[in-house]
Amino acid sequence: MAQPYDIEAVRKTYIGTEIAKARGRFPVEHDPIRRHCHMVDDNNPLFLDPGYAKTTEHGTVLCPPSAWLALFFASLGPWPAVFEPLLPIVPTPGKRIVNMAQEVEWFARIKVGDHLSVRRRVADVYQKGISIDPEAVWIVAEAIITNDRDDTVCTIRNTLLTHRTPQEVAAATDAAHPGGQE
Amino acid sequence: MKRLQLRWDDVQLGDEIEGFQLDINPRRAFLQISGSQDWYPVHFDPAFARKAGHEDIFMNTGFLQAALVRVITDWMGDSGFLRKLLFEMRRQQRPGDTMVCRGRVRDRYRKDGEGWVELDVWAENEREGVTTPGKAWVTLPLREGA
Repeated sequence: MAQPYDIEAVRKTYIGTEIAKARGRFPVEHDPIRRHCHMVDDNNPLFLDPGYAKTTEHGTVLCPPSAWLALFFASLGPWPAVFEPLLPIVPTPGKRIVNMAQEVEWFARIKVGDHLSVRRRVADVYQKGISIDPEAVWIVAEAIITNDRDDTVCTIRNTLLTHRTPQEVAAATDAAHPGGQE
Repeated sequence: MKRLQLRWDDVQLGDEIEGFQLDINPRRAFLQISGSQDWYPVHFDPAFARKAGHEDIFMNTGFLQAALVRVITDWMGDSGFLRKLLFEMRRQQRPGDTMVCRGRVRDRYRKDGEGWVELDVWAENEREGVTTPGKAWVTLPLREGA
């Protein structure tokens, strides 16, 4: 029989744990910025046109202030996508993930050619049921992104919901109450 | 050609930020994967999404963030600086929806010699209303001598 999930033990063990420390495989590049802009029809020449960007006070193409893109350049690299092993590090009853909220604070602009690094840690873990899974677990992960001058570029706080599928919830309920009795 | 630059002095409380709208369709879903490099199947594989308890695939955080950032960066111009953005994925943008992204000026003030503007930004659709509410803090250049 499966052991009951012990949220207090998980909190004690994992809050404050450093999840990942990484340096981007490549410096900030034009083409991932182009694809990122393309997905929302963003035609801002400051992000896409080196000739235009050169005429601005920035002197070069900027990366849009998207934490997603900053994390991509700091850790994932263009291909293959390698996501941080967040869930294997923090045990959860379910393995399905939904990103519920994000808070980003910016301290410096990112320019093409910058080389970014990231440090990530678990800031909080708690259990709060949702309609499809009464044992859903929420993880708050923090990231600090720096450039090659060691300036902090931005800090990111992500709230992730982890849950089981409805089938997994039904199977767990059946296992706990094999005769269908409460 | 230099683009017009918004100045803090010209911003008024309640100013509307027009934003833009995008149809969420299969093409847009694949642009989302290309642009975000988020290969979690819940964002492109309907069978996987339904097995997880969702009605369909839905657009990911990177896509929604890029949309809200576009609302802000289109509005604030080249010299504006996005200082802080927070947003919540409360409801979903799915194929068949038209996602509308907008904003509004919530507050403006001077702090440490800079011109700060606080914005409400959000994504909405007809099916769900506001799906992704957010708040942003931006600094804008001041007029000469301000």
